[in-house]
Amino acid sequence: MANVLFIEPDKGLGGTYVQAFEHAGHTVHMAATAEEAIMTVDEQRPDVVVMELQLPGHNGVAFLHEFRSYNDWSDIPVIINTYITPAKMDQARAALKTDLGVTVIMYKPRTTLQRLISTVNEQVRA
Amino acid sequence: MQYTGATHSEEALRLLASVAEQLKFPLTSILRKAELGTLTGDLSLVDANAIQMHANAALTLVDSYLLGLQLLSSQQSLPLEPVSVSSLLVDVAHELQAMAKQYDMKLELHIGGKYEPVMAHRAGLRAALVSLGYALVESYPHAGGHIRLAVHRTPHGIVTGVYGDYQQINAAQWRTALDLKGKAAQPFTALTGNAGAGLFVAEAILQAMETRLRVSKYQKQKGLATTLQPSQQLHFV
Repeated sequence: MANVLFIEPDKGLGGTYVQAFEHAGHTVHMAATAEEAIMTVDEQRPDVVVMELQLPGHNGVAFLHEFRSYNDWSDIPVIINTYITPAKMDQARAALKTDLGVTVIMYKPRTTLQRLISTVNEQVRA
Repeated sequence: MQYTGATHSEEALRLLASVAEQLKFPLTSILRKAELGTLTGDLSLVDANAIQMHANAALTLVDSYLLGLQLLSSQQSLPLEPVSVSSLLVDVAHELQAMAKQYDMKLELHIGGKYEPVMAHRAGLRAALVSLGYALVESYPHAGGHIRLAVHRTPHGIVTGVYGDYQQINAAQWRTALDLKGKAAQPFTALTGNAGAGLFVAEAILQAMETRLRVSKYQKQKGLATTLQPSQQLHFV
């Protein structure tokens, strides 16, 4: 099973993700900010990162620029699970995938736990 | 509180948009909590389905409202594309199915016949039809009713909408409701016991696409529908 890092500023929702993923057999780490996430990646070396783009302090894009600047972490898949609607994400979608190595972009309100778990499983297997 | 002048209206709209954006947070939490409850066995599937259906309906209304605002405030003309109404209606029916089941209603899909694609904003048209569908399912006066998603052709274009046994729906009442929109707590007394927001959100999205929601009739059933123009480009091909 995988070592999953969630970057999720909403602690209530984050708690739900932790319970669901642990129930599915994964090990889960939680970070609420980009700064916290960098430290957690350094300490835990997750197999996959699931993140919100709208973060307090440094936003998700700033995190991704820093995250992808480290060679050791360049192969860690990143799944964006965000409140930003698909219509608004349209312009940024290509840049996030091509320049920042984002593998999957999902709209958080419509992404069920089961779908998120299966997406993480697919990314870990890939 | 009374708003006067454009600045206050814009401020009020922005505030309302922020409220709508923020409403997504608790609604998403409710949806995921309910799902977690079924995964861990803490919540029965029946209860979880009911919670998820209501939260999904609210989320759809919020999403559609925000999309309508985005489309209406867009400085550029909307990117219209050829859209197959039949396949879009299949997608809409899939979205409405859970709610129809919860309200003990039968959802029918009438997409027989061959229709050329229409020029539309795909996400906008989908959101408008889903909003309309949710609003009409919610307002249906009795359980066991039939609601119909349909597409048909008229001399004016391709008509698509939601139909049912709405005895009291007529063009005059719809016009009155549009006049009362945002002013009365229950602008469409003949149809809904609430503010009818889903109907007006659907209307706003369609207006952004330069079309309207109108009272329509299909196979002896009444409903609300919109008329779309076939894609000329593909017509020639």
